[in-house]
Formats: sequence, structure tokens, C-alpha cells
Amino acid sequence: MSIFRPMMALLVALLLAACSASNMGQMAVDENGEMVTQVHSNNSLLASRLSIADLRQKKVGDLLYVQATLENGWKFRLDFQYKIKFFDADGFELEPEAQPWRQVVMAGRSMNSVKAIAPNPSAVQFEIWVQE
Amino acid sequence: MQRLLTIMMLGAALVLSGCASKVDYGDAQGRETVNTDFGSTDLQMIAAKMVDDMLVFPPIVQLTQSRRPVVFVDSIKNKTTEHVDTESITDTIQSKLLNSGKFRFVDMTKVESVRQQLDYQSESGLVDPNTAAQMGRQIGAEFMMYGNFSSIVKREGSTKDVYYKFTLKLMNIQTGIIEWANEKEIRKTKTKSLFGL
Repeated sequence: MSIFRPMMALLVALLLAACSASNMGQMAVDENGEMVTQVHSNNSLLASRLSIADLRQKKVGDLLYVQATLENGWKFRLDFQYKIKFFDADGFELEPEAQPWRQVVMAGRSMNSVKAIAPNPSAVQFEIWVQE
Repeated sequence: MQRLLTIMMLGAALVLSGCASKVDYGDAQGRETVNTDFGSTDLQMIAAKMVDDMLVFPPIVQLTQSRRPVVFVDSIKNKTTEHVDTESITDTIQSKLLNSGKFRFVDMTKVESVRQQLDYQSESGLVDPNTAAQMGRQIGAEFMMYGNFSSIVKREGSTKDVYYKFTLKLMNIQTGIIEWANEKEIRKTKTKSLFGL
């Protein structure tokens, strides 16, 4: 009888692992160039391993160009996706269906810069989202 | 004994529910890794990289500062062993560049349709001449966008490795000078697990 309890626990763990929700990180910069939000996550695993070491933005012509330096604090390879969302001055997301999830593979304990340019000149804010 | 029976029934129910077919909507921008063939994620990554790089390249920024150059998109030569709709890649790139407000495009695939419409407007007698589009007023393209798409496929035992390289170039039609070029590389590896699951 004692063997069934660990087996059931393992089965539940496997099922839950298969259904784990996306990890999300979020950071935003307002029109004055000040960071206004922090990293959020609905799954602590990726958030505990990945952090944003640096965040920069500049104008290229009239388009907002952003760069985030991500740091893998884990000693193993980290395989995840990121998406940069851009918003106009009224907080409307620009071309939400045109921004793909981009794949990133980071070596253990390494840093990697990800960049994106706004889809059009009306972008003044951005957010970075990550998921496994 | 009854407990054991309940657990076994629960296990059977889980196994059987795994066999039920189901259709569902997914995130069109989400990662697609069904197999190593060229897929939607590859297309989206290529288009995003090309557009980002082109729009931040200093000579292009300078060029598009005060005007919107007209571009014509030539075909992308597919040198891979797969059937890939390269026009779909350039369509996505074209849409993104157009929506950025930095470039305008002429569509060479619609020349015949446009000619027919112009003929109809000028010759049918059904269209008000004051509103009819006139012949010879189209704007000539200044740049041509073209490129190559190639792949290297290697297999060893149960491992398959695919390397894709997409190259895109922007040429000034009058001078023949390539004003911008960039590449996107993608590597996909498939390894069969021990139990083939």
C-alpha cells in the first residue's frame, strides 16, 4: 500500500509540471524615461533565475529603441522566450499581434542583451515579458 | 483492495482521456516546435530581426528621416531542401516596415491587375474622367529588397540538426549599391529520447 502514495504524488507532480503556466517578467519605462514597474512573476522559478541587470532606451530617428541586459543567475543553461511590448502615450499597446516571442538560450551564469525597436513612432513606453 | 481498484480506475481514466482528440486555438505568436522544419516561430523571428536591424542602421535612419523611400520586393531565393513560402516572410517584413512609417512599397505582383483597372477607367467610358486614375503617374521604386534562404541539415543516429540562414539585402536600383544587408541564423536540433516518447 505504501508504494501507491509516492506513485500518486509523482503522477500529480508530472501532471502539474506539464501544465505549468508561463513565467512572466515585466518592466516598463514611462515617457520621462523613469522605470515605473518592477519584475513580476506568476511562477517563481524563472524569476529566481533570471533578472534584468540593465535597461536602456534611446530614440533612433523617431522610433523608440530599447535594450535589456538579462542575467542568468543559475549555473545551468536557461532556455526561455521574451517579448517586448510597446505602448503609446495613452497606454494602448501597439500592434500586439505583430510582436513575436523570441527565443533566447543563455549559458549558465551569463548575461545577454535583447533589443527591439518600436513598431511605429507613437511608442513611448515598453514592457519586457519572459516565459519558459 | 477497494482503494487499489479506485486508483487503477483513476489511472485508466487518465490514460484514456489522453487519447481523446481535441481542437483548440493557440497563441499564433507562441513558440512552435512540432518538428525541425521551418515553422511560424522561425518566420516571426526572421522578420522581427530584419526589421529591427534595418530600422536602426544609421544610414537607413538618415535616409528615412525626412522622406519615405519606395521599395520593390523581389523574391527570396529558397535554397533549402524544404518547400518554404518565402513570400510569406517578405510579406511580414513589408508589413512591419510599412507600418513603421519609414518605407513605402510597390507591389509588382499586381501590375497586370492595375493595368487592367487603369484601362477600364480610361477606356470604358463608364468612369468620370475627373476621378479616373491617370496612366504614367506611378512612382518608381528607389530600392529593391531581395535575399537568400539556405539550410544545412545533418543527421547522426537519432539526432537531426538543422541550420537556417536568411539573408536580406536592400539595393539602390539606380546606383546598384547595396545600402543594407543582414542575416538571421537559426539552429534547431531534434534528439529522440530513450523511450521514443
